[in-house]
Amino acid sequence: MASIALKTFIGLRQSSPENNSIKISKSLPTNHTHRRLRINASKSSPRVTGRNLRVAVIGGGPAGGAAAETLAKGGIETFLIERKMDNCKPCGGAIPLCMVGEFDLPLDIIDRKVTKMKMISPSNVAVDIGQTLKPHEYIGMVRREVLDAYLRDRAAEAGASVLNGLFLRMDMPKAPNSPYVLHYTSYDSKTNGAGEKCTLEVDAVIGADGANSRVAKSINAGDYEYAIAFQERIRISDDKMKYYENLAEMYVGDDVSPDFYGWVFPKCDHVAVGTGTVTHKADIKKFQLATRLRADSKITGGKIIRVEAHPIPEHPRPRRLQDRVALVGDAAGYVTKCSGEGIYFAAKSGRMCAEAIVEGSENGKRMVDESDLRKYLEKWDKTYWPTYKVLDILQKVFYRSNPAREAFVEMCADEYVQKMTFDSYLYKKVAPGNPIEDLKLAVNTIGSLVRANALRREMDKLSV
Amino acid sequence: MSMALFSSPPLHFPSLSPPKPHLTHKPFLPLPLKKPFFISPKSIDDASSSAAVSIEQEKDEGSNGVLLNSNGSSPAVVAGAPVTETEEVRKFQDARWVGGTWDLKKFEKDGKVHWDSVIDAEVRRRKWLEDNPESSSNEDPVLFDTSIIPWWAWMKRFHLPEAERLNGRAAMIGFFMAYFVDSLTDIGLVDQMGNFFCKTLLFVAVAGVLLIRKNEDLETIKKLLEETTFYDKQWQASWKDETSSSSKDS
Ligand SMILES: Cc1cc2nc3c(=O)[nH]c(=O)nc-3n(C[C@H](O)[C@H](O)[C@H](O)COP(=O)(O)OP(=O)(O)OC[C@H]3O[C@@H](n4cnc5c(N)ncnc54)[C@H](O)[C@@H]3O)c2cc1C
Repeated sequence: MASIALKTFIGLRQSSPENNSIKISKSLPTNHTHRRLRINASKSSPRVTGRNLRVAVIGGGPAGGAAAETLAKGGIETFLIERKMDNCKPCGGAIPLCMVGEFDLPLDIIDRKVTKMKMISPSNVAVDIGQTLKPHEYIGMVRREVLDAYLRDRAAEAGASVLNGLFLRMDMPKAPNSPYVLHYTSYDSKTNGAGEKCTLEVDAVIGADGANSRVAKSINAGDYEYAIAFQERIRISDDKMKYYENLAEMYVGDDVSPDFYGWVFPKCDHVAVGTGTVTHKADIKKFQLATRLRADSKITGGKIIRVEAHPIPEHPRPRRLQDRVALVGDAAGYVTKCSGEGIYFAAKSGRMCAEAIVEGSENGKRMVDESDLRKYLEKWDKTYWPTYKVLDILQKVFYRSNPAREAFVEMCADEYVQKMTFDSYLYKKVAPGNPIEDLKLAVNTIGSLVRANALRREMDKLSV
Repeated sequence: MSMALFSSPPLHFPSLSPPKPHLTHKPFLPLPLKKPFFISPKSIDDASSSAAVSIEQEKDEGSNGVLLNSNGSSPAVVAGAPVTETEEVRKFQDARWVGGTWDLKKFEKDGKVHWDSVIDAEVRRRKWLEDNPESSSNEDPVLFDTSIIPWWAWMKRFHLPEAERLNGRAAMIGFFMAYFVDSLTDIGLVDQMGNFFCKTLLFVAVAGVLLIRKNEDLETIKKLLEETTFYDKQWQASWKDETSSSSKDS
């Protein structure tokens, strides 16, 4: 995963549980004497009396699960509404190592630990970009139905009410500080499947309901460009599966996608083969076929057991919050370019938004307002915007033509690049580079680009 | 010497020159940056009926790694057909392509490798592969690396009359342009990112160099700027309409 991400390293290696507990305890009610000392915006907000602040989280994916847990732990009366408890979101399911530590994930929800990542160029040059991984480092492969359910259960344990229901719309408050009225169809056991129209009054709403977010619609958040990602789950023979035991593949080329990559990711007992594109959505099936073809020698004879497709946001929505409603995860549009990574960022944004609410409400004692929620946006953009930006540039430079892709793969053969790439992907931070290595890399990369482009020119001549 | 390579005339910067459509593909449409079309992700539901099948199927799978098919029945077979469609695999073949690379001995003339022919051969191979994408293979890996062709062979081949035109000035313009672009975004990326970002900037700078060298193509530069800032605008959008409401913050 050519994810070059950056920014502060916040408590992660699996082996450092202290870090997590620090993070979590921040939102525990026991601390709130400390917080009192801080002067923050809510000072002027009225206290809520006779109850705690009520917040609804719509959507029980990684964003919603993480948000609800943090809210509940922070003393907020939390409702998590998820339409389908065993939802199996179409997803590659790759998560960075730091997520395991930061979210305290038990190792048994990780199906596979990928330690080898092959990048394969249009002319089939294959480079293993995982050579510099240390023994304890890996990319985790999870099944979304497992991860999502786990995070929701944890939210429930922390005190959140997890409701099975389809959120429909909400009535905006008529007066300042008056509640939002959410309308949803409840699928409780007592309604046995039929669904029952319900309403719920809350003081604030976190929209974590994914790419087709209804919460976003309710606040006129505007649209984003999106890529369509297509994925087939393919069961292959055991001996073929052995090769993918701890290995994932990424294919680049005009044949597999004009602007993204095709992948083969190992899952619990099968592989996920997929690709995505923004610019040529109508051709997605052709790209999928091409991806399968490029992987053919390794998956031949396999059976397709499931086909799925889903949009992936390309950039944030024009509006990510309004009044006491905030968007997180895919609903906000937090997927990186280049690597298409969104699980970690969804969970982080959910948590960060919830922390802002906990803090602004002084653990549920006061009303929140837009300025409290805006703290989340501020912090988010400050922490992660550079990451998104770099990946956007990399994608623009390297994913758009075959010569650039050839150069990219050549570049990935470099150990220094691998180390930087993996450090930034796994830990979301960057080790200080070495200026001489950087310069060498830049020169080599330019050399690669130049050569690949020169060849392309000649190829063009051939086709005339 | 690599610096001199920047200005070889045949270059075009990849991020700006869409590949020529000589595959079986439709012509490459440039990214819709000028007039971004926003299709609501919702429409994917319709789009998927033609372009993509989204089939939601239940797996009768235990929660913890129970084999999907442990009972021998495939619970959710969408297309039961085996994955392979390639009956007869046409692979690239050339007598000089041996063991995943060009056998340089076969390119020797008077005891010296005739690099021009190596370049020609590789060009033809890549062209072939674009038209007939081939399955990658672990048994038969591709080992050829363009960097084994010495720099002077590239120089000679793509004679670089403009080599001398690449001077410090052009490079500097490119580099400053990169910084300029960066400063538009005013988050101070350079500080935040340290070295790694500098590298990326350098790539952008190279784009600048390559473009400016070519008849000061302002249109292209403008496009580059637009592209680079488009993404930033999306990010900043949520800060635009809000100056009044944050009064409490101060
Ligand atoms: C094919 C594909 C492959 C991907 N691979 C990877 C990968 O390998 N690694 C990675 O990090 N990211 C990957 N992503 C991106 C990742 O899936 C998303 O970024 C991530 O799932 C976002 O999480 P979320 O919680 O914001 O939204 P979602 O996971 O979409 O969760 C939204 C939840 O809300 C529920 N919901 C929606 N509407 C309503 C409603 N009206 N009422 C109640 N509930 C509702 C849904 O049922 C769902 O459970 C991939 C995406 C795709 C499409």
